[in-house]
Amino acid sequence: MKKLWQYLRLVGVFAKYSLMSSLEYRINFVAGVAVEMGWMVIKLLYVAIIYKAGTDIGILTPDHILLFVGTYMLLTGVYMLYFGNFCSLPGMVQQGDLDLYLVKPISLQFYVTLRRLDFSLLLPEMVAGCAMIAVGWKRAGLPVGLVPVGGFLFYLFCGCLLTYSLFLLPYLISFWTVSLGGIADISNALWDFNNMPSLIYGRRLRDLGTYVLPIFVITNFPGLFLMGELSTGACIWGAAAPVVFFVIARLLWRVALARYSSASS
Amino acid sequence: MITVEHLRKEFSYYKKATGIQGSLRNLFHRETLTKEAVRDISFSVERGEMIGFLGPNGAGKTTTLKMLSGILHPTAGKIDIDGFIPWERKNAFKQRISIVMGQKNQLWWDLPASDSFYLNKCIFHVEDGPYRDIVTELAGLLDVKELLNVQVRRLSLGERMKMEILAALIHRPDILFLDEPTIGLDILSQQKIREFLKIYNEQWKTTVIITSHHMADIQALCQRAVIINQGNLVYDGRLEDINALLGKRKLIHVKTAFPVAQEIWGSYGQVREVERTGAVLEVAQDRVRETLGSILSGLQVEDFTVTEIPLEESIARFYQKEVTPL
Repeated sequence: MKKLWQYLRLVGVFAKYSLMSSLEYRINFVAGVAVEMGWMVIKLLYVAIIYKAGTDIGILTPDHILLFVGTYMLLTGVYMLYFGNFCSLPGMVQQGDLDLYLVKPISLQFYVTLRRLDFSLLLPEMVAGCAMIAVGWKRAGLPVGLVPVGGFLFYLFCGCLLTYSLFLLPYLISFWTVSLGGIADISNALWDFNNMPSLIYGRRLRDLGTYVLPIFVITNFPGLFLMGELSTGACIWGAAAPVVFFVIARLLWRVALARYSSASS
Repeated sequence: MITVEHLRKEFSYYKKATGIQGSLRNLFHRETLTKEAVRDISFSVERGEMIGFLGPNGAGKTTTLKMLSGILHPTAGKIDIDGFIPWERKNAFKQRISIVMGQKNQLWWDLPASDSFYLNKCIFHVEDGPYRDIVTELAGLLDVKELLNVQVRRLSLGERMKMEILAALIHRPDILFLDEPTIGLDILSQQKIREFLKIYNEQWKTTVIITSHHMADIQALCQRAVIINQGNLVYDGRLEDINALLGKRKLIHVKTAFPVAQEIWGSYGQVREVERTGAVLEVAQDRVRETLGSILSGLQVEDFTVTEIPLEESIARFYQKEVTPL
């Protein structure tokens, strides 16, 4: 418990310092927010088209789709908050920059993957995502109560943990390959599979993206739970997948770290 | 306190032929080669000692420091630091050590150094009171009190290095590894850092292992030197004994009233330098008195001094393998 408190406190310090650092460059910060809002508008166009057409996709009405896309936006914001740390990992391995982090008495994985938090990417996505979830929820007439709200938040949390673990895996390959551009691009493209509800994809692709490489679990399960469309097995998998992949990411991190050879001085 | 036995570290890499053909060949087949950065090093360090770790570029100094601090796993050999094996990277071990690398930094670039100190305080669980005392005391000793609230990116290289050292000492480590802490710094910054390290070591009895290419750092701080070359230990002993090991030679610097021919200087000893009215001669230590007597009686001498052979020069002879490894 004491350790958890220490780590939460450190996240607080990282968040504060990251915000202070980014505010040192005001124009860059504002530009970051503006660019992210631009991307957001593009995503919103998808929803606007669906509303305009007024067609349902399977069991999903446009209001449901709004909620799913809102969930995707919110979780994209959370992922973007620490995404920069993943991107800088290959460079750190190549330049031997992990050296001074390795001698600190805290988890190296925690330190290296969460030390820089980008609020210019989080803020617009979070605000828009939350608004879309609230509007979609209300218009679709989805239930409001302890179980639906609690379950929705629980699967949101699971989605956050799963995003961290699943999308860290490709970056760990940099301990072997050092340079990683191609693999990172593929993983980023996979994330964008979630910009529409998984129900628009075929059955096989959906199963693959749910049980093998569970990217669909991240943004679809909160909404599906709310709609009562998750089977018991899926409910359990939704809670288990983040744990399974977190353990895999931890193990692979340790194996990868044993390969770290620093860099010559 | 620190015991190192038969330490060895190999790195594997692949052979790269030059040109585009080599690159294309590499795409399909890579020949893996092994480099022995450290071959066989053994030494021990007592608590509170300050040791100069010397060697030419690529000798294995930094690799050894990285193994001592737990950053790298050795290929073979043992290190025992007060019962800890560094590469197990236990938190209790990390609480007791610190490393400063002249070419790497841990400070947040856009924030004042004091913010990075606070982060280290949180990481190392330093209480508020001791933390304030340490920062005040060390900032005073390093003469950076006025700079604590200036963004790191606005500091000069020397000021940044002082802040790096301060950040590394927030948790009062028992052992401090310094890898070229004065690299690229001006003379004043070098001096200040040397003075600081001397006082810090005396006051806190911190064990310090320092690598530097500035011999002045080593001479000012260390009584003992460990010299490695090509991954092997070639000397471990008192700094002042290095010259003795190389043949107990001295330099006589002479200034004369009138020009003297080089052949005449040659009759007194081995001529190192000749000027119009002076020369530097190298002679055996037991012949200094006799040689000086001859010079004083034979030439019109205005001034003379007797000095040791510069340490850089003696150590260079180790680097050039003129002295066999221990």
